[in-house]
Amino acid sequence: MTEEILRVEHVSKRFGGVIALDDVSLSVQTGQTCCLVGENGSGKSTMIKVISGVYTPDAGDIYVNEHHYRKLTPLESIHAGIQVIYQDFSLFPNLSVAENIAINQQIASGKQLVSWKEINRIAEEGLAKIGISLPLDAIVRTLSTADRQLVAITKALLANARMIIMDEPTTALTRKEVTALFKLIEELKSRGISILFVSHKLNEISEIADRTIIFRNGKKVLDQDAKHLDVKTMEYYMTGRKIDTDSILIEEISHPSAPLLYVKNLKLSHGFFDVTFELHPNEVLGITGLLGSGRTELALSLFGELPADSGMISISGKEVKIKSIKDAISHGIAYVPDDRIREGLFLEQSITNNIVVSVVNRLIKSIGLLGRKPVRKESDDWIQKLEIKTPSGDLPVKSLSGGNQQRVVLAKWLASNPKILILNGPTVGVDVGSKAEIHELIRGLAREGMGILLISDDIPELLQTCHRILLMRAGRIVQEFKRREITEKTLNSELVGAPLSATRGKRIG
Amino acid sequence: MLSRLLRTNEFVIFVILVVLSIVVGMINPVFFSVSTLFDILRASIVYFIMAFGLLPIIIAGGVDISFVAIAAMTSYTTHMLLLKMGYQGGILTYYLIACAMGVFAGLLNGFLVTRFNLVIFDVSLAAYTMWYGFTLFFVGATANFDLPQGTVGYYANFLVTAQDPVVGETGLHISIIYVILIGLFIWWFLNYTTLGRGVFAIGGNREVAIRSGFNVKRILLFVLALMGVMSATAGVTQAFLSRYFNPVIFINQPLDVLASIIIGGAAITGGRGTVPGTVLGVLLIQVINRALILTGIPVEWQRWVVGVILILFTSIPALRERQAKRVGHTTELTEAD
Amino acid sequence: MKNKLQFTFSHQRLLDFIRKPPVESQTVLLLGVFLILAIFFSIKEEKFLTVRSVTSMGFQLPELGVLTLAMMITIITGGIDLSVNAISNLAAVLSGFFMVKLMPENASSGQIALFIGIGLLIPISVGWLCGTINGFLVGRVGVPPILATLATMTFFTGVSTGLTGGKTVTGFPEQLSLIGNETIAGIPVPFVTFVLLSILMYLILYRTAFGFKVRMLGTNPVAANFSGIDNRSILMRVYIISGILSAVTGILVMSRTMSAAIEYGSTTYVLLTILISVLAGVIPGFGNVINVFITVIILQMLSTGFHMLLLGVRGSSFFKDFSWGVLLILIFIINYFMRGKASRES
Repeated sequence: MTEEILRVEHVSKRFGGVIALDDVSLSVQTGQTCCLVGENGSGKSTMIKVISGVYTPDAGDIYVNEHHYRKLTPLESIHAGIQVIYQDFSLFPNLSVAENIAINQQIASGKQLVSWKEINRIAEEGLAKIGISLPLDAIVRTLSTADRQLVAITKALLANARMIIMDEPTTALTRKEVTALFKLIEELKSRGISILFVSHKLNEISEIADRTIIFRNGKKVLDQDAKHLDVKTMEYYMTGRKIDTDSILIEEISHPSAPLLYVKNLKLSHGFFDVTFELHPNEVLGITGLLGSGRTELALSLFGELPADSGMISISGKEVKIKSIKDAISHGIAYVPDDRIREGLFLEQSITNNIVVSVVNRLIKSIGLLGRKPVRKESDDWIQKLEIKTPSGDLPVKSLSGGNQQRVVLAKWLASNPKILILNGPTVGVDVGSKAEIHELIRGLAREGMGILLISDDIPELLQTCHRILLMRAGRIVQEFKRREITEKTLNSELVGAPLSATRGKRIG
Repeated sequence: MLSRLLRTNEFVIFVILVVLSIVVGMINPVFFSVSTLFDILRASIVYFIMAFGLLPIIIAGGVDISFVAIAAMTSYTTHMLLLKMGYQGGILTYYLIACAMGVFAGLLNGFLVTRFNLVIFDVSLAAYTMWYGFTLFFVGATANFDLPQGTVGYYANFLVTAQDPVVGETGLHISIIYVILIGLFIWWFLNYTTLGRGVFAIGGNREVAIRSGFNVKRILLFVLALMGVMSATAGVTQAFLSRYFNPVIFINQPLDVLASIIIGGAAITGGRGTVPGTVLGVLLIQVINRALILTGIPVEWQRWVVGVILILFTSIPALRERQAKRVGHTTELTEAD
Repeated sequence: MKNKLQFTFSHQRLLDFIRKPPVESQTVLLLGVFLILAIFFSIKEEKFLTVRSVTSMGFQLPELGVLTLAMMITIITGGIDLSVNAISNLAAVLSGFFMVKLMPENASSGQIALFIGIGLLIPISVGWLCGTINGFLVGRVGVPPILATLATMTFFTGVSTGLTGGKTVTGFPEQLSLIGNETIAGIPVPFVTFVLLSILMYLILYRTAFGFKVRMLGTNPVAANFSGIDNRSILMRVYIISGILSAVTGILVMSRTMSAAIEYGSTTYVLLTILISVLAGVIPGFGNVINVFITVIILQMLSTGFHMLLLGVRGSSFFKDFSWGVLLILIFIINYFMRGKASRES
């Protein structure tokens, strides 16, 4: 008989007027892997915080190891064996692997003095338990994301975790590392440790989860075996509506005009090699590949942030040199980055400021002064056009949701009237509902004549928006697909699968 | 292990120090004399002490400039107090009273920082003006040479003496012991106590430090109180070494002490720093000053040479960072992949 | 795709006014402090609000004021310029050298005017040059501003020391004092300069594309780069402006004291400009010139006010330092409670 490690019954939680959790009940068995899925605001994060004791529910009961808790504190949660691994892994970048692993124990023991022998011993034991080896005195800052995650997991296990909660664990991992992580999770499961994780990568979930639990509007709407749940059904439950992607026919461009962008033999050392492709007006060209395939480097190269070492770029038939971002912008290229918080937005500044930042030079009145009216008008126009939901353009951009923030970034670039728009992961962290709207926006822009490069590893997204898709691997373009040539299944297996044989598909190069 | 040691900032500074000393010594062999060594050490004593007090704050990710004001306030106030009481005893009383005041001043900073969620630098700005103003207005504005009977002669109290061909008898002042003791204490504190590791944790990631269970408030209070004690010690020591009490002592020097800590390898953003590095940083600046004198460069010109050296010192690591960032952006792929 | 927010935009103005009153809370706080102090001092000391006293304040505060403007713009970029005072002094020294050493005895008034004219161009050039060095180190080489300007501060002071041999430069032509000691319609010339430069700073920061980019850069340098802003160029120009404003301060000091000294003000002056900036709420990306203006006046009032009140008391001129420190702490505490209230209301 399997033990139940966690059971929550009729848990509710509200913040002011917002109902975050509405009568939710679920349970996790020992050695089970459950995935929590839901849009922003669906309640999945609140659920995690209730389980880990950060929030106290207004109503309901929590049972950990059959022990009943009406109110659970973080310390009690930890003592009960629940460990949360946040997205930053809760590590100290300036300290060693050993110290990071052992530090919580050090504090918990109340000891005032530090024995390095003891710290190393604790760390050794911890690593041995999972069967991995890392240099004990390596400074965590120098490790790869995957290794840092391992340190975090080791730390969690050391606290005798019976359940580990992970928040978006595979976001920054390469395919190989994801496989290694999943193998580790299997190993932990066999030892009776349960895993609860939050993920938005719907295709991965069935690979590793035993159960999928879907939240919507604070309620649990689905709780079943993960293996037989397909992405479409998940999306339906997440949003409450059918996202009709099959009916979206990407019409092929019958008479493609002269290429807007022609890239030949482009090379960037430690980035990509021998890249050659064309982009036409009215076209959405997808570029996909796993982490490390060189797709982001290619985008940054075209945008001038990482100028290519060699090769040719021509725009509208004229050869150009792109050595800086300024060059790229002057040729009509725009780039919407994947890390919008860090690279795309000025959080404390107003929405208006964020929208006009790339075009201020254009909004100057006769005496060289920036006109208030032109700025306001430009911003209002875009807020309206892109349906950015805000009562005022003067509010700081950080007050917006992810989807609306992404629209602001889009507005910023559309304001510069680009010929070529490069989008890198445009709907990451965006609600499924907003996602569809942004896709329609992209298709609309293409219809109006823009050439769009869409970099994404979200296969449905690629299929819903792109006319053609390029597959990159290890820095090279290895395949080109026309939209009607592929289905979700084939694209997925191409992306994830073994190296291609020469007979499959059409080779570019 | 050895290769890692060789690559540290501290080792680089050490090498520079050695090379510089050799070069100067060759230009003017007087540099290689015992009296020069003792002179440099004597001049460095108070800076060592202040730097040791500032180091944990820097590692915790903060910056403080009020330590100079605390040094002045505690030493001068203690002196005027004792003078009024007709005190004629020795130095110990001075240190005890001044350090007590130093703890108070440090804790005051700490209280404001932790209670009102303020930036350490901002509070130190206020404390800097406040304490100098306090001392000058409430205590006294003139230098005072009236030393108590029991302290006379302390300035020449040498730990070790030697005969120098040029100068005659020279000695290493006994207060170097304070430096050694304080240095060892801070080193032990930073590396072998949970509180000390907490300082590094706060400097590495304050959020995570809180999550991990460190009592950040308590650590900051402690570190600031420590700074107060060090400052007081430095202030009193400086007064006895120079044989007078100065209400505006060190007023223009907080940034110089900060510079020596940074040169010694500490990161201005926090999370990194060592006692040996700090020692080297202070020594380097003192040696440069001394070297300029001995190489015959007129006093007036020394400052700008120090400036150029500082410019170089800060540019080189910055350029290296820039290089690293450029490479880090790309993947690990090579053509062969 | 209907726009449900259409009617909201027509009420934009009203909503804006309600949500974001035209004057920010820190300004109101500072104005309040100003009024309280003005009332307090004028009650306690009848000579405080006289023309003579106010005019005297108007002569002294512009030096600190213009220097703070120099500091302010660098803080807004997320940096700092510790060399402002050093540049000020160096500019004064070089200008002084020129005017004192090169001007012939018994020069005609026309010649004097010419010499003074050139003598004023020199500091501007010096300020520009020093600013370029700072801008180069921070923008191109990538040295953290606090370290770069600490180094250049030492360097610039060193050059001044070397040139003057540590001695103060004196013997300026009398006409120079016109700038520092005369009034226009009863208002001190330096004060007028301060007001004009403040207005200029406001215009630069909030009404030019350049200033807009400066503020965005300070908010997020990475995003600024990705938005097409030339960070290096902006930083260079910012530090040049800072250098020039520092040099103008040097001119003001020089013409008021009729001398140029290397250690005038020194570190304490620099720290004061930072103190004023902190009080005025200047942070990376945001800086209100009015706040800075009011704060400088507040500091001057405290200085003059207490000096008058405590006249005769030993060390009276030092009470101001104490009061400034206490004021800063009080403002911090008030800000803390104001912030707490705001976040509770949202």
